[in-house]
Amino acid sequence: MASISIEGIKKAFAGNIVLDKLSLHIPDGAFYTLLGPSGCGKTALLRCIAGFYAADAGRLLFDADDMTHVPTHHRDIGMVFQDYALFPDKTAFDNVAYGLRARGVTRAAIRQRVDAALDSVGLLDLAARYPAQMSGGQRQRVALARALVIRPRVLLMDEPLSNLDAKMRMQMRDVILDLVQEARITTVFVTHDQEEALAMSDKVAIMDQGRIAQIGTPEELYGTPASAYVADFIGSANIIPVSLEPAAEAAATRRYQLSGRVLDGTAGAALVDGKNAILIARPEELTLAAAMPRIANAVPGAVLRRQYLGFKTAYRIQLDDGPEIHVDLGAGNRHADFHPGDAVQVVLPPGSRLIRGPR
Amino acid sequence: MNFFQRKWWPWGVLTVLCLIILSFFVLYPLVVLFNNSVRDESGALSFAGFAQLLHDSQFLLALRNTLVLGVCVTLLSTAIGVPLAYMVARYEFPLKNIVAVLPVVTIVIPEVIVGQSWLLLLGNNGLLTNLLGYVGIELPSFYGWTGLIFSMTLVYYTYIYLGVLAALQGFDGQLEEAGLSLGTSPLTTRLRVLLPLMLPAVAVNALVVFSLVVGNFVLATLLGSRVPLLSVMTYNAFVNEMGGSPLLQSAMSVISIIIVGIVLFLQKRVVERKLYAMTAGRAPRPTGVRSGAALLFTGSVGLIMLFSLLPLLIVFVAAFTETSGPVMRWGSWSLASFTRILHSAPGPVINSLEFASLATLAGVVFAVLGSYLIIKKRNALTHLLDYIVILPLTISGTVMGIALVQTFNTGWLVLAGTSSIMVLCYAVRRLPFAVRNAASTLFNIPDSLEEASISLGVSPLMSFFKVILPAMKASIISAAILMWVTTISELAATIVVYTGGLETMPIAIFRQVDGGRLGLASAYGAALITAILLPIIASIKLFDIKLFSTR
Repeated sequence: MASISIEGIKKAFAGNIVLDKLSLHIPDGAFYTLLGPSGCGKTALLRCIAGFYAADAGRLLFDADDMTHVPTHHRDIGMVFQDYALFPDKTAFDNVAYGLRARGVTRAAIRQRVDAALDSVGLLDLAARYPAQMSGGQRQRVALARALVIRPRVLLMDEPLSNLDAKMRMQMRDVILDLVQEARITTVFVTHDQEEALAMSDKVAIMDQGRIAQIGTPEELYGTPASAYVADFIGSANIIPVSLEPAAEAAATRRYQLSGRVLDGTAGAALVDGKNAILIARPEELTLAAAMPRIANAVPGAVLRRQYLGFKTAYRIQLDDGPEIHVDLGAGNRHADFHPGDAVQVVLPPGSRLIRGPR
Repeated sequence: MNFFQRKWWPWGVLTVLCLIILSFFVLYPLVVLFNNSVRDESGALSFAGFAQLLHDSQFLLALRNTLVLGVCVTLLSTAIGVPLAYMVARYEFPLKNIVAVLPVVTIVIPEVIVGQSWLLLLGNNGLLTNLLGYVGIELPSFYGWTGLIFSMTLVYYTYIYLGVLAALQGFDGQLEEAGLSLGTSPLTTRLRVLLPLMLPAVAVNALVVFSLVVGNFVLATLLGSRVPLLSVMTYNAFVNEMGGSPLLQSAMSVISIIIVGIVLFLQKRVVERKLYAMTAGRAPRPTGVRSGAALLFTGSVGLIMLFSLLPLLIVFVAAFTETSGPVMRWGSWSLASFTRILHSAPGPVINSLEFASLATLAGVVFAVLGSYLIIKKRNALTHLLDYIVILPLTISGTVMGIALVQTFNTGWLVLAGTSSIMVLCYAVRRLPFAVRNAASTLFNIPDSLEEASISLGVSPLMSFFKVILPAMKASIISAAILMWVTTISELAATIVVYTGGLETMPIAIFRQVDGGRLGLASAYGAALITAILLPIIASIKLFDIKLFSTR
């Protein structure tokens, strides 16, 4: 159990920068997720923490211990791999015992600890099985037990759920969280699945081209995205360029123009005064109203397409003199039903966030 | 020190070590050979050797014969191998499964035994020659073009068969269906869709066969007494120049290296670029054939198989046949030949077992380490290692033997005359097979396995022993068998380097055949085949592994 400090880590492969002077602090005992699309550097960062990649510059600390030049096998980490990496010639028991044997734990203690670890993932009956004789979910559990049984300082997980089917993935989320919380171990979890990140993490770092795009709790990232990149990656969002009305410095509410109307919005943290801004509006925050009578904080448009999805109905609206916009109406919203060609008004709540736009 | 440890220990150090060893035993002898080909008696630079050869009508004849033989055998092998592969891939017919043993058979039956057994049948004193002679039919002499083309085709068609079969099985049947759906007839579809995609695979394997024929010494010398050929002439030059300046043997060796070099260049640069990447689709299901066609298919496959397997049978029959001097008394049985080789001259048997064991051990250790470095620790140095390891494949046995003798005859490390040079010959010639075999398995072992071990606190070197080696177990065993089988039957290089007391079974067979004592040769042949087959059968039973499944 340790906190992890990453200080200005740089890594490039053949001139291609994958980690760009990246700094990050992961508090002791946190479930910390590195989230981003493939190629954003999240796996490279994890592999730097594990020691499989040597950083070109920067420092890595576990608590106050400088780990930058410590080889992997002395770092005292537990790692769960995307393909589980179970040793095919060893039984579940021997796979889990592997790290303990390397640490010179006594035979009796190994027996007891491995049994306890297999029991905790519900696989005590399958201790004598070989990896080839187990299902994907069972292999995943063995891999988890193998990483945790050595009581590592940090647990590193590289897309551990991506090879499982949807149902098993949901189950394993709970298994992982239960085990990790019980062990109170600092966990770094790499995924490209935003739902997984939101559901499991204490904190999420969203990465983009070797840099941190935003760090926050799942609620902060969803509610107050700092950039269009983050807004687009977490959930779905309408990302609309608008022009700002001039206002006094540091006003919380700002007025903007869209499709010829002037609306109220909320200034985001990164908003810089200027003419151009970006409006971020989640489809489920928007509502639709009939074209008449004209209402406040709404813009006129016409329905392009309507998709009925059961729990919601998704609309694509063409704004008059403006871009297309997505609006989701929940199933409870029964009186509002529109069809392609209908003239409507899209109601934007004043809470919709305005962030810095292109200069 | 820290830098040294992190960057170079252990894999960097081991890579450099492997490179040094290989350079010394593979590259350096070739350098010596090339150097010797351009030095006159006094050691000055001179192209006299090449000039002399180019004005030597015998040499030019041998060169022409070798190329003609290469073309003939390649064409005939293609003519047999391609239809056979097509039949096996596309049709279902009775007894089809017997072809599954083909790859093993070709590896298992040494060329020297193929040559010897066809001589037993069709040679001057052969079984068939005699039988037909009684009824008044005169067969053309088997010594010369007939025997060379016939026996080499039977040895080499399997290369084409296996290569084309693999290509046909990797062919995406949907492509043919797409052709049909676009309105071309089945025959036109095959010509326009299948054929263009298969031609490169045929060409690649045909070039391999061509280069093997050019380098072939064993069959060339056993059957080609009336046809001068490059490999035999090189060997004779070596024998004639013993003790003198090795000018002509070196020049001839260099010329044969250049021929094979051109062929391999064509293969790499021209043909392999035309190999198409195909999305691994489903090969079309074989269609069943009935009555007439089935008879034809089964018959032709059966005939090919019979010819391929016949040498095994004949050698055992001949080993237990009574002889008096060079005359085989077919039909009367005797253990005399066997008792003679086991009692009075067991040397070759013991030597073969000893040299092959040592070479197998050395080869497997090197192959495991080398393939691991090449596949798992990719960098410029291991890339170089990859090239040097494969180099012996491109050099014929005779040339390799000559290069090793020239290099280790004098100087600070004299190996000539010791058993080390025999083991070295074996190991160097067959190392590429073992490395390729081990590498194909390593490709399928994910890097994460090793990383998992390291992350659990085991050092990289120990992880190799605890995780990689066990995962490679099956391929280590099959690499060992491959090494064993191919080294124990090696003749072309060891015939050059051996001296008194170092005789092996293939050399003994060769000398007995040469001296006309086919009975004794057969007894050695039967012993050799037994030594080849026993470990294979044992390992299949013991380890329950599929041999040569990667081929």
